[in-house]
Amino acid sequence: MKKLFLLTVLIGFTSCQVEGELTQDKIDKPIEATSILKYSGTFIGTSGINASGQAKIYLEGTQYRVKLEGFSVSNGPDLKVYLSKSSSPSEFVNLGNLTSSTLYNIPSEVNVNAYSHVLIHCQQYNHLFAIASLTTIN
Amino acid sequence: MKNLFIIALLFVFAINRAQGCSDAGICSVGNSFNDVEKETKNNLEFGSIFGSGEADVTYFSPYITYTRKFTNRFALSTKVTYSQAQGNFGTRGQFGDGYLIGNYLWKSKKTAQWSTLLGMKFPFTRSNLKINGYSLPLDYQASLGTFDLIVGSNVSYKKWDFNAGLQIPVYNINANSYFKEYSGSTDFSSTNLFVRKPDALLRATYTYTHSKFTFKPNVLFLYHLGEDTYENIFGKRESIDGSDGLTVNGNLITGYEINKKNSIELSLATPFVVRETRPDGLTRGFTAGIIYKVSF
Repeated sequence: MKKLFLLTVLIGFTSCQVEGELTQDKIDKPIEATSILKYSGTFIGTSGINASGQAKIYLEGTQYRVKLEGFSVSNGPDLKVYLSKSSSPSEFVNLGNLTSSTLYNIPSEVNVNAYSHVLIHCQQYNHLFAIASLTTIN
Repeated sequence: MKNLFIIALLFVFAINRAQGCSDAGICSVGNSFNDVEKETKNNLEFGSIFGSGEADVTYFSPYITYTRKFTNRFALSTKVTYSQAQGNFGTRGQFGDGYLIGNYLWKSKKTAQWSTLLGMKFPFTRSNLKINGYSLPLDYQASLGTFDLIVGSNVSYKKWDFNAGLQIPVYNINANSYFKEYSGSTDFSSTNLFVRKPDALLRATYTYTHSKFTFKPNVLFLYHLGEDTYENIFGKRESIDGSDGLTVNGNLITGYEINKKNSIELSLATPFVVRETRPDGLTRGFTAGIIYKVSF
């Protein structure tokens, strides 16, 4: 009984919370029709993870942007989108949270040619969820 | 009594510039020293702190503390905090940290009374609370996501109290993922996988008692012992320039003894010196707190 009470209190502390509406965020414009598709890759889930869809990198003027198309992945905590130099997250650019927007601007200082993969990675538990190997589009 | 309570509340809301102590942990070290000196065995404290932080973020931070006096020299305190932040990103609230602090009162000398405390803080969150899946800066987090060791010492000399303390993060589970690069705001530093350095504290308090009122003006020096770090978008750890250094706070505590077992306190504070960069989100433009204490 005492243990049950303690467990209830513990769950109460970690679950009692308030989450309001997000009232400030960058508004991502959709990919423009004049953008040029430069790289593309298909997602494959890692062991025990289901993933599907494609990562596409567009050049919009001087701005590179990643778009996830037809994308889905198994649920996970704190998933991030990485632009990576290999199929493991060792040298990468963290493009931010995996959200429903599915559009990610690549910072201008990044040499996109040097990166070969788009990864979906759980930062909180350091677990790789999905890998897309990029190929150059002529 | 009711009128006094209303006046106290009005006073709280009338304050437009004061401050406080940033962190409920080390900044409240001074209070823990006093509990062991009380005559009753059990003490409960209910507090509500209202504060204004960076970039128009406001806070409501209630807490509860229970202190049990085991002997005439030793007491143990437990404390649970909650913090709700409201600002341009929205509203986010959660239980923050738990504290367990032991306090030992040494044998009284002729002129001075020494006491020592030892305790720890443990977080209820990993400092990565989000709104609709979007990462939030530490200013919106209820805890920094660190297990901290807290050590301190106090000496009482006539009407003066002098505290010294250290708050040392010993284990970090901070999983914050806020990047200012990907945010719609430039008000806050990037704090992805934030690592915090220790704090040192010095406080001098003068106690003046008049009838049932007690006034405790005090000055608090906090030194952040090193620059905090975060992991940048390239996965490299980076120091946050100007995040180390001195904070000096002025604080006035006004207490009213309702009877031998019940009292209320009003605490107002303001900073005189702040660090150049304050990524931890602990700095307040002002704080005003109202605290009810009951002994049994």
